[in-house]
Amino acid sequence: MSAVNRKWTDGMLTTEDWWAVWVGLIMFGAGLLSIWGIDAVGWMAKTKTWEWSSFWADPNFNTLLGVSHGKAGKVYEGWGGFAALITTYVVFAGLTTVGAYFQKLDVKKFFLGFTCIFFITFAAWMIGHEAHFKAGKTSQSALQSEIYGDDVYCMTKVNKCSASINKALKSMGVDVKAGQTPTVEQAAAAVDKTKKAVRMSWGFQLGGGFSYMLALFVGLFIGNFLKPFAAFLSEAAKPEWFIKTAIVYLGVKLGHMSISSTSKVGGGGELMLDMALSGAAAAFVAYLIFWPIVYAVGRKFFNLRRDASAVLASGISICGVSAAIATAGAIRCRPILPIAVSMLIVVFAMIELVILPTAYTAIAPEQPIVNAAAMGMTVKTDGADAAAGAILDELMVARHYTATGELWEEDWILAGAVLTKIWIDVFIGVWAFVLALIWVYKVERKPGESHVGASEIWFRFPKFVIGYFIAWLTYVAIVIWAPELGKAADAGAKVVQSPMRKMMFMLTFVAIGVITDFSKLKGMGRLAVLYAIALFVIIAPIAYVVSYIFHRGMVPPVVS
Amino acid sequence: MKADIELSLVHDGKYWVGRNASLEVKGVTIPELDEDLKRGLRESGDYAPGTALHVFMGFDYDTFPTWLRQYHTHYFNRTVLVSL
Repeated sequence: MSAVNRKWTDGMLTTEDWWAVWVGLIMFGAGLLSIWGIDAVGWMAKTKTWEWSSFWADPNFNTLLGVSHGKAGKVYEGWGGFAALITTYVVFAGLTTVGAYFQKLDVKKFFLGFTCIFFITFAAWMIGHEAHFKAGKTSQSALQSEIYGDDVYCMTKVNKCSASINKALKSMGVDVKAGQTPTVEQAAAAVDKTKKAVRMSWGFQLGGGFSYMLALFVGLFIGNFLKPFAAFLSEAAKPEWFIKTAIVYLGVKLGHMSISSTSKVGGGGELMLDMALSGAAAAFVAYLIFWPIVYAVGRKFFNLRRDASAVLASGISICGVSAAIATAGAIRCRPILPIAVSMLIVVFAMIELVILPTAYTAIAPEQPIVNAAAMGMTVKTDGADAAAGAILDELMVARHYTATGELWEEDWILAGAVLTKIWIDVFIGVWAFVLALIWVYKVERKPGESHVGASEIWFRFPKFVIGYFIAWLTYVAIVIWAPELGKAADAGAKVVQSPMRKMMFMLTFVAIGVITDFSKLKGMGRLAVLYAIALFVIIAPIAYVVSYIFHRGMVPPVVS
Repeated sequence: MKADIELSLVHDGKYWVGRNASLEVKGVTIPELDEDLKRGLRESGDYAPGTALHVFMGFDYDTFPTWLRQYHTHYFNRTVLVSL
């Protein structure tokens, strides 16, 4: 038999889900080698913030891109951006092409497609880092513009940049931390002295969010206006594989965040635990509310058949395509039904991804974790949800900073969106198993003649979650039981959880755009109408209320 | 549960089709498929009347579109008890 799941090990080498675990854990393991002083990940290319007029005055590729050099050794310190880019390409094209081979994809087509997607991704990523789009103002410029001017932007992280200006002032004899205030001339001299700040007449202050949005729109443009090219890329456009790998890397980030924040005032570790537990509760509540309502609306007002209503209800209200297929399988639908519903889900997920982060940021700028959890419950498919969470994170952190001068730690909002979605994903196997039992024993009414194996739960379990928890808990374990190794472990983990993870996010944005063809909505009729109504009238409002009940008042730790 | 017979299951757009090297059965609905299975096993002459067989049917996920397989990796398996 070809692709039949029989043993619990089936699919370990042939599915994207497992390959997300392998690619994720290979790089996680490589990062951990820093404990023994080996820098096996420092070659990773890293984007830099750049300003176009300076760039044109002295064009240099190293202005746009650098090397991560994980600080475990000095191996990559002298590398330029181009060497880092090519090495990053060779490593990831190699790993994913091996994965494509085992997944029985067209290897040549995959390799060529991945090559295009990779370089499109890096082009969008570098353009998105242009300072007018990305850079935020220094805290001095945001809070004391009468002294520093309101046109000083950061070419690096805001806290580092602002500290750099203070350091320059101290070297000039003005100790800001001791309460001294510089003159306008001293402030100007300090800004000129630090290389981390630049004066610009305008800036959108979008943070990394602009890169994500740019990658998404490039992907969408290809998917909808360059369809032959999109078809060429389709073998390698695997947003779910890329995002699941990124989520494994996010596991490293969570370990790092929960530990590093525990020592700070406000207890970030406690916040992480709160987010995880309330995320589970919220997901469970949402499950039990969404599904029956959407199912009943489908049956009563749209006269859908029982199977169509069940598949659509799962797709809309649980976790998108995965839930639609799991439910359809559980109730023995003809495969054409979940395939049609999946096309609908993928297109609507894109609409959600484009609209919701901006909408939530505008509507509730002071409820970051509520917004994140609501996102996790509303946006379907892991790829679109994590992508939306990443945009929401960038937009909300930037907006809060420009409004208050207070800088939230990045990635907590993203973590909130992903944690909620992971709980939902984990339950899908159990949910489908229950549905299968109901179907066999109550609908088919053939007890004793037909048997549903509990192995169905395992076959439907999202395997990338295993990689996510291994990465998270391993890092936590190191810091708890071998704290002396924490700093060394962190050197490698930093590369995996930041530039490597963000690259997988960027690949996801391009790939998800490439596979989204809005013309597929044509001919969907009642299903599309029901989907739109259920999403915007039922799911989104209820998700927000549930999320508010469980997460209100939670905010990320503040960067000192 | 150890099955006596294993079939690969697909849907060809109209029929559910279960097959292995020596047997092919089909039906528009799952109950019809099970009826055809019973008939096919009887007609094969390999089993005595009154024999009870556990038949495992595993859906061949390769029949799903490639782009969709990244979202989920399993459709369904079922085991049917057939009394000849």
